[in-house]
Amino acid sequence: MKRGFVFWASGGFLVLLVVLAVFGPSFRHDYLTPLGRPFLPPGPEYWLGTDEQGRDIFARLAYGARMSLLVGLSVQAIALAVGMVVGVLGVFAPRWIADPLMRLTDAMFAFPDILLAILIIGVFGMGVLPVVVALSITAWPAVARLVRTQAAAIKDREFFVASRALGAPALYLVLKHVLPHLWGILLAVSMVDVAGTILAESSLSFLGIGVQAPDPSWGSMINAGRFELQSHPLVIVWPCLLLSLTIFALNFFGDGLKSWADPRASSD
Amino acid sequence: MPSSPSSRFARSVLVRLAYGLLSLLFIAFVTFMANELAPGDAAMAMVGEKASPEALQRAREQLGLDRPWPVRFVEFVGNSARGDFGRSYFGIREPVADIIARTLPMTAKVAFPAIALAALVGVFLGTVAAVYQGRFLDQAALGISTLGVTLPNFVLAPILVYVFALHLQLLPLNWEPVQRAPEFYYLILPAVVMAARPTAVLARLTRASLSETLQQEFVKLARAKGVPSFRLYVVHGLRNAILPVVTALGSSFGILLTGSFITERFFTVPGIGFTAIDAIQKRDTPVILGTVLVTGALFVVVNLVVDMLQPLIDPRIRESQV
Repeated sequence: MKRGFVFWASGGFLVLLVVLAVFGPSFRHDYLTPLGRPFLPPGPEYWLGTDEQGRDIFARLAYGARMSLLVGLSVQAIALAVGMVVGVLGVFAPRWIADPLMRLTDAMFAFPDILLAILIIGVFGMGVLPVVVALSITAWPAVARLVRTQAAAIKDREFFVASRALGAPALYLVLKHVLPHLWGILLAVSMVDVAGTILAESSLSFLGIGVQAPDPSWGSMINAGRFELQSHPLVIVWPCLLLSLTIFALNFFGDGLKSWADPRASSD
Repeated sequence: MPSSPSSRFARSVLVRLAYGLLSLLFIAFVTFMANELAPGDAAMAMVGEKASPEALQRAREQLGLDRPWPVRFVEFVGNSARGDFGRSYFGIREPVADIIARTLPMTAKVAFPAIALAALVGVFLGTVAAVYQGRFLDQAALGISTLGVTLPNFVLAPILVYVFALHLQLLPLNWEPVQRAPEFYYLILPAVVMAARPTAVLARLTRASLSETLQQEFVKLARAKGVPSFRLYVVHGLRNAILPVVTALGSSFGILLTGSFITERFFTVPGIGFTAIDAIQKRDTPVILGTVLVTGALFVVVNLVVDMLQPLIDPRIRESQV
């Protein structure tokens, strides 16, 4: 995949999304207070119209963007931290530590993500925090597996063997020779993973067990909008559109970064 | 030690069975531990949150919750294996097994047509794309599958409902307990929505696998011998390219699972996904644990069966089985 128009358009869209998430929720109207009449059409006062309770859809979408990005980034940060430690230990730790860790990583794939998330939210309660915990637990094994394969490849490269032969301590080896080689690919993969996390958060909120009312999330806005599909179809269009564009943008931007981080890995 | 191909095959089947069994135990363990670590337990649900510590203690002893957790885990696995998941906290305290027996067939009614549709359409799209590689039909098939992979279920569903239920009025809006049309009509939209993602995944895989196969020597030989195109692509090409697709059918089951939660909620189909979400909102722990265990076990079993099918489909694997 060449870094052409789609790559830069995706990047631009993501920048706009961050701006929207930071400034949007209280830019013109508050996202929680009913201000206008319900179901006002888009206009100069309420840019995208109002929802079934007369709340500004633009502000609610912006707050949804903030929620999605916060959940996506914090889950990815946790997954990266745990996955990197487990993956590096899987290669460099003594076998009695490495083997059980890698078995656990493999075992996690036996549990379908959505089911694990539903189990955790089911026993710990609904809300944003359980969603972050649940999605972090489902996200780290993929990172660990990637880090493990990448680190295992570095272990046999000359610079690494040489440094080790010179007596460099293990921690130095990992920090100086392994991790710097991983940033590119991890950043690229993170984009795609964050897309998956945002999709999962929206799914859980759509199901009514994620972000709880009155706070908006794209998923819960889609859920609310489906009851108005006949009378006010626009209400459901906005969150659907923004969510789909975000998923597209993260995937295409991540793909572009991947070919940049590792030119040999560029596929179809 | 030298061993005959058949004994190696038998051993590999045993190894896979053992892995499947371990996966089931792992799922049971995680489910049990999650419930263990969460605040509140069955005793609290029985006597209420405001009960005195003594009453709570008595309830714990009565339910056997005061025993150490390994003992209770073994009991949990034993009970689950016999299909005893306890009773719902609410209503007539229906046994969880009965709830699952009632709702799982409903899910299957949507999921089976969905996976059949995904396999048919996915393999067809992928074959067309591989045969017309680089040309318009390929681009079109690839575009459709990219859309299918990235477009969330709950975005596709309102679009289809708007077009086919509200605008054209061809299909019902959602599931109804009292139905005004044959059940078949109610299942079309949910099945199509659920099929979208697996279709896209299978199409991509078929395209990749088939275009690789079509470049091999035996296909060139067959073409040179004058084998008709259709026979060449389907009998020579697809027969050899289908294996990764069959494997993907197994993992598609996971995608299908996610789909079933969302689709059942959207179309209010009273299946197992709908029941699980309903139980979470009511904090009906036995039902949550039961549905998670049963769907998790199904996932393991489906992947195990797909794993076992591979050597039956492909003699190359049968021969090289270690």
